Order: sequence, then C-alpha cells, then structure tokens
Amino acid sequence: MWYSIFKFEIGYRLKRLDTYVFFIFLFLFSIVAVDFIYGGVDLGPVKKNAPIIIAKTMGALTGITMIIASLIMGVPILRDFEYNIESLMFVNPIKKRDYLLGRFLGSFVILLFVFSSMIWGNALGQFMPWRNPDDQVVFNLVTYIQPFFTVVIPILFFGAALFFISGSLSRKLIVVYTQGLFIFVLFMLTRGIKNEFLGAILDPFSLNTLSVMTDTWSTAQLNSQLIPFTYVLFYSKLFWVAVGVLILVFGYRRFNYNVVKTSASKKRNKTETPINVSPNFDKILPSFTIGKGLKAQCTQLLQHSLFYFKSILKEVSFWAIIICAMVIIFVNSISLGTVYGVDSYPATYFIVEELMEMSGYFFIIVMIFYSGELIWKERSIKLNLIYDALPSSDFINLAGKFIGLNLIYMVLMLSVIIAGILFQAFSGYYHFDLGHYFMSFFGDFLPFLSLFTVLSFFIHVLVNKKFVAYVLVMISFITIVALPLLGYDHNLYSFGGTNIGVYSHMNGYGHFLKPFLWLKSYWFVFCFILFIVTSIFTVRGTETNFVKRWKQSKHRFTKPLARATSVAFVVFVLIGSFIYYNTNILNTYWADSEQLIFRAGYEQDLKQFEYLPQPKITDVNLKVELYPKTRDYTAEGYYTLTNPHDHAINEIHVQKLIEDNITLDSVDLSGGATVDVQYENYGYYIYSLNKPLQPGASIKMNFKQSFITSGFENREFSTKVINNGTFFNNQDFPSLGYNSKYELRDTGDREDMGLPSRKGMASKTNTIELKNGINGDDGYNINFEIVIGTDLDQTAIAPGALINQWTENNRSYYQYKMEERMINFYSIVSARYEVEKDVWTPTNSTSKPVDLEIYYHKGHQYNLDRMMESMKMSFDYFTTNFGPYPYEQMRIMEFPRYAEFAQSFPTAVPFSEALGFMLDIDDETDVDMAFYITAHELAHQWWGLQVVAANVQGRLMVLETLAQYSAIMVLKQKYGEDKVLQFLEGELETYLKGKAKEDGEEPSLSLVEKQSYVYYNKGVINMYVLQEKIGENNVNLALQRFVSDWNAFDSNFNKDRYATTDDLLNYFRAVTPADSQHIITELFESNTPYINSISDLK
Amino acid sequence: MTLSINNLSKTYGNGVKALQDISLDIPTGMFGLLGPNGAGKSTLMRTIATLQDADTGSITLGDLNVLTQKHELRKVLGYLPQQFGLYPRISAQVLLDHLAVLKGITNKGERNELVKALLHKTNLYEKRKHNLGGFSGGMKQRFGIAQALLTNPKLLIVDEPTAGLDPMERNRFYNLLCELGENTVVILSTHIVDDVKELCTNMAIINQGQLLLKGKPLDVIDNIEGKVYQKTIKKEELEHYKQQYTTISDKLFLGKPVINILSDTDPGNGFIAVPASLEDVYFTQLNNNN
Repeated sequence: MWYSIFKFEIGYRLKRLDTYVFFIFLFLFSIVAVDFIYGGVDLGPVKKNAPIIIAKTMGALTGITMIIASLIMGVPILRDFEYNIESLMFVNPIKKRDYLLGRFLGSFVILLFVFSSMIWGNALGQFMPWRNPDDQVVFNLVTYIQPFFTVVIPILFFGAALFFISGSLSRKLIVVYTQGLFIFVLFMLTRGIKNEFLGAILDPFSLNTLSVMTDTWSTAQLNSQLIPFTYVLFYSKLFWVAVGVLILVFGYRRFNYNVVKTSASKKRNKTETPINVSPNFDKILPSFTIGKGLKAQCTQLLQHSLFYFKSILKEVSFWAIIICAMVIIFVNSISLGTVYGVDSYPATYFIVEELMEMSGYFFIIVMIFYSGELIWKERSIKLNLIYDALPSSDFINLAGKFIGLNLIYMVLMLSVIIAGILFQAFSGYYHFDLGHYFMSFFGDFLPFLSLFTVLSFFIHVLVNKKFVAYVLVMISFITIVALPLLGYDHNLYSFGGTNIGVYSHMNGYGHFLKPFLWLKSYWFVFCFILFIVTSIFTVRGTETNFVKRWKQSKHRFTKPLARATSVAFVVFVLIGSFIYYNTNILNTYWADSEQLIFRAGYEQDLKQFEYLPQPKITDVNLKVELYPKTRDYTAEGYYTLTNPHDHAINEIHVQKLIEDNITLDSVDLSGGATVDVQYENYGYYIYSLNKPLQPGASIKMNFKQSFITSGFENREFSTKVINNGTFFNNQDFPSLGYNSKYELRDTGDREDMGLPSRKGMASKTNTIELKNGINGDDGYNINFEIVIGTDLDQTAIAPGALINQWTENNRSYYQYKMEERMINFYSIVSARYEVEKDVWTPTNSTSKPVDLEIYYHKGHQYNLDRMMESMKMSFDYFTTNFGPYPYEQMRIMEFPRYAEFAQSFPTAVPFSEALGFMLDIDDETDVDMAFYITAHELAHQWWGLQVVAANVQGRLMVLETLAQYSAIMVLKQKYGEDKVLQFLEGELETYLKGKAKEDGEEPSLSLVEKQSYVYYNKGVINMYVLQEKIGENNVNLALQRFVSDWNAFDSNFNKDRYATTDDLLNYFRAVTPADSQHIITELFESNTPYINSISDLK
Repeated sequence: MTLSINNLSKTYGNGVKALQDISLDIPTGMFGLLGPNGAGKSTLMRTIATLQDADTGSITLGDLNVLTQKHELRKVLGYLPQQFGLYPRISAQVLLDHLAVLKGITNKGERNELVKALLHKTNLYEKRKHNLGGFSGGMKQRFGIAQALLTNPKLLIVDEPTAGLDPMERNRFYNLLCELGENTVVILSTHIVDDVKELCTNMAIINQGQLLLKGKPLDVIDNIEGKVYQKTIKKEELEHYKQQYTTISDKLFLGKPVINILSDTDPGNGFIAVPASLEDVYFTQLNNNN
C-alpha cells in the first residue's frame, strides 16, 4: 500500500513546475557555488576543485539551500489539509504507517533528485570561463559525487525528517520554514563549541568536520585525496541520521490520524450549543458614513497595516524566530573585536556588527517568507473573493501588507537590540550607544529590507506562482548581492544601493551618510514606482492570466496613481542624475577594466624612466591647511632637491599622486624650467631645467597642491581627510620619478594586458635597489618643518617638536620642526583629541628625556596606562641595548577604525581605534597586546627609522623581525617568560596557517619577500630561539653594533647603500660561539621551521 | 436602479463556454438565478462582482459600467461568494470590523455600532469574541452575509448561500435576505428551486452558459399551468414512459417513481392533472435545453 502512495507522491511532484524550478535553481547556484563561498578567501596552493573544497562547498551549499528542502519536505502532509481533502484521505483504508511512509519517502526521493543537481552544477562550474586553469586540478567526477553521498545526503535526511514532521504536526508552512532557522542556530551553536572533536561531530553541514578530518593533510593530499567516510565525518553523519530517525519516530507517534486537531475540536464543541436567541432579523442598522478623502484612506491604511502586523505577531513561529535571534548573540559573541586573541570591550559597534552578521540571516528569511505569505494570505485562506470585492484601493491593500511587514521587522530589530544591550550589561559594559543601534538597524538595515520586500512583492504578483516566486526572490537576492563582487558595482543599478559603511567612535558615520541617504532616496523612489506597478497588477478576483491583468491594469492605473507615478519618475530621474553627477562627473567612476588599462598604460609609457637619476629631497618645508568639515586641504611649500650623483641632472620628473581629488596647482623650480606635459594624464610632469643641476648642488622646488573633495564617489570613499581623524602621509605629496606602486600586480591581469609577469623583490645583488630605502628613496636624511592649520577644536600632529601654536581666523595652527635629521616619511594627523602626557627620563646619559603623549578619542582611555608604560619600558630597553633615541618626543595618535594597523613615523605612531584602544585585557589569561603593539611600533624607531633596510630580499626581516624581537624582550621585562611563550604560541599557529596557504616555496628569513607569516611570525620565534641559544646579551650586542654601523642618519654614515640581512647576520655570527655558528644558518638561512611546537622552547 | 447585462460572453482557457451571449435586466428586489451545477451561475456572479472579466458584452448598474468602473461598483456592492474561508484565529467582531474599515467606514464609533448591529442581526453577537475557526457552516454563512451587508449595498450578490445548510439555518438565512430593502438589487444564485420560489420576485434560468428563461416566478408557472400531469409508476416502466411522454421529471415518492409530464391535453392513462410548480418550469427548461 505504501508503495502506491509513494508512487503517487513522485508522480504528483514530477508533474509540478516547482520541482524543476528548484532543480534548476540549485543547478545554477551550484555552478557558481565555489566562487560564491570561497569568494574572498585566499586558498593558497589548494585548488578550487580540490576534493576538500568541493566537499565543503557542498556542505555550505546544503546549509544555505536548506530552505528548499523545507519547501519540498514541509508540504506533503500539509497539502492534504490545505486542499481540504484530508477527510477523503483519512477515511480510506490506508494505514497511518503507509500514508506517512509513502509520503515521506516519495518526497525524499524528489528531494534527492532536486539536490542531485549540486553534483552536476558543481562539476560544470569547473569549466566556467572565469575559472583559472592554474587554480584547478584535473577533472574527476568522483570528486563531486562522493561528497554528495557522504556530506549532503545524511544531513538532507535529517532536514527532511525535521521538516516533514514539523509540517505534519503543526500543519503550518510557516512553522516548517522556522525549522530551517532552527538548523541554522544549531550550526551557529556548534561553532561556539571549544572541543574540536565535539564541534566536528555536531556540525550539521560538516564544515568543521571536514577541517578536522584534513587537519594534518599536506597540500598535495588536499588536492588529490577524497575525504574518506570514516572517523569524525562518519560519526557526525551517523549522529545526524540517528537524530533524523528519532524525529521521524516521534512524529509518527504524535501524528494524529484524525481530520480535526484535538484542540480545535474542543472549541467546536463549545460553539455547537443550539441558538435559542430570538431572531433579530428586523433589526434596523444604525446609520454610518463612508469615509472619503485622505484622512479616511490613512485610517484604512493604518488599520490594514496593524491587521497584518498583528496577524504575524500571533504566529508562534515568529516568536520562535525572535527568541532564536535574541539568543544567538549570547552564544556567539564571546569574541568581539579580537586582536591577536584579545577581545575588545563590547562597544556598541562591535555588538551591532555581530548582531547584523548573526541575525541578518533571520531577517532575510523573515523578509523572503513573510512577504510571500502576505501576498498569498487571502488566497491561502480562501477569503480572497470577499476581500477582492471590497471597495478598498489596490494600493492601500498592498501598502497595508508592506507596512505591516515593516512593523514586524521593527519588532524583530527591537528584540535584537534589547538582546545586544543585555549582552553589554551582562559583560559589565554600560556605554549603550542607542543612537548607533537605532541608526544601524532602523536607518540602515530596515530600508534594505523594505526595498527587498517591495521587490519580493513585485515578483510574487507578477509571477503569481508561490513557490516559483520564492525561488525567483532568492535568485534575485543572491544576484543582487553578488553582482558588485563581479565588478558590476555602480550604485545606480545595484538594487538598494550600499549600506551605511563603517561606524567609528571618532568619525561617526562621517561622510558616508550623505551618499547613503541619496542612494536610499533614489532606490526608495524606484521602489515606489515598482510598488505602484505591483499594485495595479495584483491579482484581484479570479483572473490570474497575465494578459488579462495587463488589459485591466489600464483601468486600475487611476489618475492619482498616474500622477504619483509621473512625479516619482521625475524625482527618480533627478536624484539619479544627481548621483551620476557626483559619482561620474565630479568624481571618476572606474570600471575594473578601465583601471586595468590605465595602470597597464602607466607602466608601458613610463617604465622607461624607472631608474632615471633624480636628485634627492633634503629639506621639506610645508604649510598644510586642513579643512576637516569639507574634507579638503591645501599644501604649499618647498622641497630642497640636491644632486647626489657625480653627473649633472637635466630633467626632474614630478609624479603627482594619481587621485582625482588632488591637483598639483603649481610647481616652480628655482632657476627655471620648461615643462613637458605629454604624460599629464598620469599626473607625470617632466621639467627640463634651464640650468643643469650640478653634482652636489641644490635647487628649491616650490609647489602648491590641493585636495578638494567634491561630491561623493560610487563606493570606495577615501578615508584620508575626514571630519574627525584625518590621517595621511607624505605619499600624498609630489614624488620624483616613476612610481612602481601603480604597476599591476595580479599575474592574470598582467597577462591580459600583455605585460610580462612581475618579478618578486630584487636580489641582494641588485645595486640599484640596494640604494632604495623607502618609497623609491626620493629623499632621506631630510630637515623637516611643517605648519598645519586645522579646525579650532582639532589638534594637528606631525613629527618633530611643537615649536609654535596659535589661533588665527578661528583656526588652530601647529608648527612642528624636527631638530635632527630624519627619514623622508612623515604623517599628518588631525582630530578632536584628549591627551595623556608623561615624560620618559633616561637612566643613562646618552639619551635625552622624551616627552610621551597619547592623543586619544574621548572615552577610549582603557589602555592608556598600558601604552604609556610600554613606551617607557621600550625606551629603557632599546636605549640601553640598541642605541640612543635621536628625538625628544614620542606620540601615539588614535585614528578611526577604517583601517586596522599602527605605523611608526619619526616621533609619531598613528594607532588604529580598532587595534589597542578598546581591548579588554585580562592580565591572567591574555597577552597585553596594547603593550606589545606599542613596543613593536617604538622598536621601529630603530628598525626602519634609524637603520634603513634596502629594498631587496630580506628587507622585512630587518624591519619587522627585529621589531618583533624587540617587542617580546620588553614584554618579557614586564610580564615574564611565560607570557612571551603564550604570545609565541599564537605566532606559531599563525605561521603554520600562513605556511599552509603558501603558493610557492617558503623563503628563508634572510630572503623573505612579502610573506608576513615568515617575517612576523616565524621571525619572532626564531629570534627567541636565537637569544635562548646564544644569550639575550649577545643578540643585543650584535644589534647595537648593527645600529651603530648602519644608522643612515648618523653624521658619520658613509655607506653607499642600505642594510641587508647579510649585514645583520654577520653581526649575529660575530657574537655566536664558533660551535654554534650553524644555528644562524638554520634559523635564518633555511626555510625549515626550527621548532614545531612551543613546548620545544620550554 | 437596474442592473443590465448585455450580450455577455465568456469562454475559459480550456474551451468551456461559461457564458454565451447573456442579456438580462435585473430590477431592484430579489432576483433568483437558477441553474444546475456548472451552469455558469458563479461565473456570471463573479463577473458582476468585478472579480472576473467577460470576453464581450457589458454590465451596467444605473450609470456605472461594472466592467471598467470596478472600484466605483465595489463601493455599492455586497458579495457573498459560494465558497470562502475565514481567518481561523481571529474573532468574528475583529474581522468584521476590519472589513468595515476596508469598506470605508473609518469612523470608529459608527463602525463599532454597525458591527454590533450586524452581529445582532445575524445572531452572531453572542459568539462575536469567538475565533472564526470554530464556527459551524451556518454561522460562517451568516457571518458571510453580515459582511456583505456592511455599508447597505445597492447591489447584493449571494452565490449559492444555502448549499450545505440545514433547514433551520436555511430559514434563518432567508429571513435575513427578506429584510433587505426594496431599493437593493439582490441576486441570489442557487440550484434549489425552493429558494427562488420562496424569495424571489424575478428570476432567470441558465444552463451551460445560456439564458433559458427569464420572468417572474408566478408568470412562468402560469405559462405551463394546466399542462402538468403526474403518475406513480413502476420502476421498470420508467424508460417506456420517458419515451412516450414529454417527461418533466421523475423522482421517488415512498420508493416508487413518480413522473411529471407536460401535455397540452389530458394524456389519460392514469395521469392526473397537478398544479404546475416552479420545479416543473425549471426541469422543462433544462430538458428542452438538453
């Protein structure tokens, strides 16, 4: 018997359009799945179709498309109730077992059929033109088939059981949908599990599981071996299948083979009491008036909205969603704003970002499903004929649903915000930034959902097939989200525009707010028109045929609607033009391809000048006027250019920073020059000097440059000059000669543009690069003086001593002068700052006292003491062991969290808001990263700002590895050996991860190029080993000699090149006993890791 | 006020001719639209109720063009469809109130009074707080008429309202309809002859999308008065009689077939003359049509 039900179910499904729509949707999605899921991930040497990648992709894909499983598995029993044929079914002599089993298995077979499209879709994906053959291994169909069976089917079975049973027991589709969320919450929960094994077992989509399975695999294995169905993968699947079976058994027991649910029949009994009331048929109805005009329509709209709002509020499933969304933050927000394993204080922006990430999915589910449910609400309950014959307008009917759903979003948002605030309160953090909470959710997320709701309404109404429309809504959603990733990112056609951007305590929403508001207005007007179109095509009555509706729409497009539409259209075009004017006329909109062509052109036309001898900048004297409110500046002043070569220089090549905002208003060379503007489109000017610049002689280059922000850009908003927290460096100002930073880097792009592939860093034998210190070495050893004007309430900071400060025209001016010579590298910073001051007093007489200052944003004082102490201890350690500090100031300046780094300039360390200021450091369990980073940056005052490393292989070992070493030594002074080992443990982990992703061969430290896992992470470990083996004092002695000999700013410096690792290693060797010499080679000249576990160090 | 239907035709996508060139003038008062299942009654009703479009032809109510001025018509329309559902978890009062808002009664006080009065009128007042999910068929139907009566419609369309109701409920329903003013055009579609006989001042019979007959029930009965004869026969004789006479109908009485025939003269043969009934008219028309 069950077999005929089974056959009926399959036959029925095969005749339905939905089945094929689901199949095709999954198929199409699968084609791009790897690109979608691994979009921003650097896979390193692991290929895009490696078995592990395919298996994980299929796991994740199953997770994302679990909704489809719910659409398929939720309905088989529900359907009978929906079509009211349950009585017919249940009176038949069918056993409950046969009925349930037949329906379940029939649907499950269809589910497998639909999901099998994953195999073919993913396999086809490998042959898509956008895949780079270098990123792929040879095609093997088994790679795609095997994970379908081992990863996908078991969890599908679990999902099928859950959806089938929840649908059968609740007899409500919406309950089925929420089960999908339930699985998602489960998945999120498993990610919070610390125990690796347990996490792997419980991960429904096997992402953790697969990682654990292949933890120890080599790259070659990852690329070639199928993931065996053993160990945790097998147990995990066994577990989920078992849970699925349990659910089925439970559901089978609970399923009531009756037509009426017991609870309903109780009520019914009550109402069946006979009515003996005397008839009231002749009762005269009271008089009433039919409301007219706007007020009446508003009342109707309001009542309507509230009606739908309440109807969703009554859904138990909605409350389930709310509870899940509230709980999830508590599960997953254990780590916030983590920097090297240290969490931040739960500042509102962290919480908001966390909430968005965690609950965003919930909102989207609510949006997709409830928008559909609302469109179909009257029809599903069969009230549509009554409803459609009412004299309410199409527009108000639809608008009521729209507003009702938006109210629902708001309730959900409020709940999530409350959860966030509770989380903060429980963590003992009470600075609830309500404004930011509300702006992010109600100002940013709500409009996003609203716009997509309109789109979803539109699709449902036009397509008029519920399930097809659901799939189309999902497809459009994914397409809209994915298009910008493929380079089609102009906001005028990216539905909905962008989100509001990064919020910073320092700069608020800054300049992101204005374009955001314009874009949202633009899309809201667009959606208003879409909404009107939707309303006049709404199915009203029994005519569903589109042609009929098209004909009718003329009558439904009433005069008021027509007027509103034409006004909206005009507004739409006006706003659109305004945005276009801003993004494409005031600013340049670079399509990806245009940018490639431009950069390739730069290289092709100008590479000839790369090593043209140019003079060096020896003096910099500038006056910079910052206008933070309008985000402009002007810079005026001069460079002194000196010819260091032994031959005269005839041409000076000036490169303006290639950026729209910047214009080089004038360049004036003393002695006169004629300018050649043939490369002006690259901002490249060739000045032929009237009198050649003789060796050793100098000229002044006066220039004026302005940075004018006009309008707004499409997406990539510049964050250099901003309302509060301006930070830029001298790379904004004119430089000399060809600048290789504009060259295309990506091998594929270079190939497309017909450029030879770019070599890595120059070798240590490259005599030209040995003389290149920093940024093309336009200058070194400069005298520096600057005046910065800024808003009255801001403090402007540049390197050097503050020699004057005054107010003029309601602006503040700060004059800085560096008494000593310094590297040609300086920062300009301006913000409304609080300041913490202290003085470091040296214990020996070689150094002068140093004024210590931390400029921070009000409220960010948590770690100031740690930073201050770090500065003092660093100066103690570094001046004692490496050499004197040449300057008398040291300043840390906080800048907004648009970037996460700290950087060392002479006497100045701009330090990101995101990096150390908000860390909640527990001295017991955490490494004090605020302390450590400060020490690291201060170390650069020696490694980088005194010793200049040549731009050849190993450069970053000299700069970064030594800074890392210096910092752990200070850390050891303060916190002891154990903390250092704790820190190194994290470094080892990062190193091993980086190593695993290495595409080519790992270089040794002495030849390191861009591999941060080598020069930061391995570097610090190996330096630690070195000082263990030969003694800290010996290492420091070597470093002291190194600084002393290679300090480029020492008046005795007479080398004709900068330092390399060869030089450094010679100093190490000199202090290493003869019998330990091999260790230098092993640590720095070999690429095999010296230790594999921190326990080796203990 | 008259509802005029002119040359209305509708063919469905599957080729079914639901309406074929129907023309009817419906004055105020109760109008019965009689026809078997599938005759096109509901199609006609839905078309009048603005829920469906005709292929050709026109419908006007006074000056209103029903097919294009849908919104205007809906303002004066009360409609009770043949089948409908109600939100199970909402009370009668809440839903009726909601529908009243959508019908334009935006004054809260007036609306409350009206809703209460209608619930009284339909004898649902006691149950007004109960969820609609628990309503019986009769209560549901009464709720349906309550919502159709909101705003005193000028045109009231009730499609097969008594189908599935027990006699008590049916009577209650008739009483409700009877109370409607003389100024309203009430169209009642049914396949039950008694409904028309008891209620309607005008009527029409349609079958297979065609209008077979229109007139006042008494007039159409008059047309065949004196021509209807009846006889109780044996089961096996039925075929024989059917061939010999113009049979109107055959039904069972106490288990034996009773046939009614139409004859201008007394057929003799045991037939006795009986007074013509609307049922005879109805079956005569259907037989002719088939």
